[in-house]
Amino acid sequence: MALKNDKDKKMEADTPQGCTLYELTNQIHCILSETFSSTYWVRAETSDVRVNASSGHCYLEFIEKDPNTNQLIAKARGAIWARTFRLLKSYFEMETGQTFTSGLKVLVKVSVEFHEIYGLSLNVVDIDPSYTMGDMMRRRQEIIRRLQKEGVFELNKELALPELTQRLAIITSPTAAGYEDFMNQLTHNPQGYQFYIKLFPALMQGEKTEDSVIAALDRIYEHQELFDAVVIIRGGGATSDLNSFDSYNLASNCAQFPLPILTGIGHERDDTIVDLVANTRLKTPTAVAAFLLDRIDRTANELSLLQQQLIQTVNNRLLEQRNFLQLLSVRFPERVRNRLERSLNELQRIAVNLPTIVALLITRQKQGLEQARTGLHTAIDHRKNKEMQFLQLTEQFIRMASPDYILKRGYSLTLKEGHIIKSASEIEKNDKLIIRWSDGTARTNVEEVETNIHS
Amino acid sequence: MTKKVESYSEAIAKLRRIVSEIEGSELDVDLLSEKVQEATRLIKLCKEKLYKVDEDVKKVLEELEA
Repeated sequence: MALKNDKDKKMEADTPQGCTLYELTNQIHCILSETFSSTYWVRAETSDVRVNASSGHCYLEFIEKDPNTNQLIAKARGAIWARTFRLLKSYFEMETGQTFTSGLKVLVKVSVEFHEIYGLSLNVVDIDPSYTMGDMMRRRQEIIRRLQKEGVFELNKELALPELTQRLAIITSPTAAGYEDFMNQLTHNPQGYQFYIKLFPALMQGEKTEDSVIAALDRIYEHQELFDAVVIIRGGGATSDLNSFDSYNLASNCAQFPLPILTGIGHERDDTIVDLVANTRLKTPTAVAAFLLDRIDRTANELSLLQQQLIQTVNNRLLEQRNFLQLLSVRFPERVRNRLERSLNELQRIAVNLPTIVALLITRQKQGLEQARTGLHTAIDHRKNKEMQFLQLTEQFIRMASPDYILKRGYSLTLKEGHIIKSASEIEKNDKLIIRWSDGTARTNVEEVETNIHS
Repeated sequence: MTKKVESYSEAIAKLRRIVSEIEGSELDVDLLSEKVQEATRLIKLCKEKLYKVDEDVKKVLEELEA
């Protein structure tokens, strides 16, 4: 303060000369050192984290955003000196399973430093990983809840892997160490199973991972009918940046993808959210390859089992039929004999009864015939008598009707000019008539004709 | 039989059905030979899918823009 007072005096005296920049910044330095002599635990978000390759110092920005508007409300430069950084980094990463990188909520113990050249800086001396873990956990839980609420969390798990899973769309970085091993494992399998693998390259670490993987999924989506499953793998190695695989967007994309997704993201800590929504979660690329081989092994085993079963059942069926036929051929003669015997018995029974039946029948027929004969005679006699009577009557009638018979009984015929006279009206006076009897004729003249009036 | 080539899942499902039909012994022996022929065709188809390179699939994937 003495300095300031001196300057003030000078400035009052004549035209302001000002102090040197160093004088000012040095004064700030002194005041800050006095005021912030201790260390402070600070909650902030990391940003722009970078490590100087040669010195090993870590430089970064600490920022704070308004939780509601997401607007930046505070920002300060920070540094972790190499010796501290080596210790803190491995401690932090071991505890959290998370690379010390940008975008993390951290609780750090800092000293407030001011340098005449570099200005204000927060010098990190300690870090509390549990705070970061708590924050990560909270964020994860939020994303999981959101996916569940949207009803997509289980969607990819509900897809069935096809019985033959052999056409694979791989999302990975082609330079990743795990990729080549994965390919070798699958393509050089000793059983000679076929796999068809198409690489869809994507960045698997860094800030662009999320967009890059989503873009790869979009490309696969266009050709989904060509694939049985999608495999997302990442080379193993040191624990690395997994933030992208805990992102809502990527997880939501994976959960709703129409093909089953298998993950082998290669990390030791708890599953990422992508792992949680994936159809099948495996630790490493190698584990994914082993899983696929095991699966196709089972597929092949089922096939050969079915083949054996088929052969056996067909053989059994044929054997069954053969046995049945054999049994038939053994039993057949016996059955035939039985049948013949039965028929014979039947015949014998009939043969025994036949004479009695025939005799009975004949007797019955005879009786019938006898009756008919008697009846016939009676009928004939009857008829004959009737005919005789008729003839006699007719004969008598004819005899009595003859002219001779009538003339003999005293009647006579009167003829005029050869015709028989039947009425007195036919005769006139002086007609010459012939009168005939049975034994002769007489010629006569008519003297008088009298007719009966009533006739 | 159908001219269209079945997928592996379809083929194996048909195969399972045939085997259980034959096992169930409700199948007429007259049909046995027909069924065995069909089953043999399906087994061959499945084995080819498992062990033989399908050049068409390979070609389509090779030509696909990743």
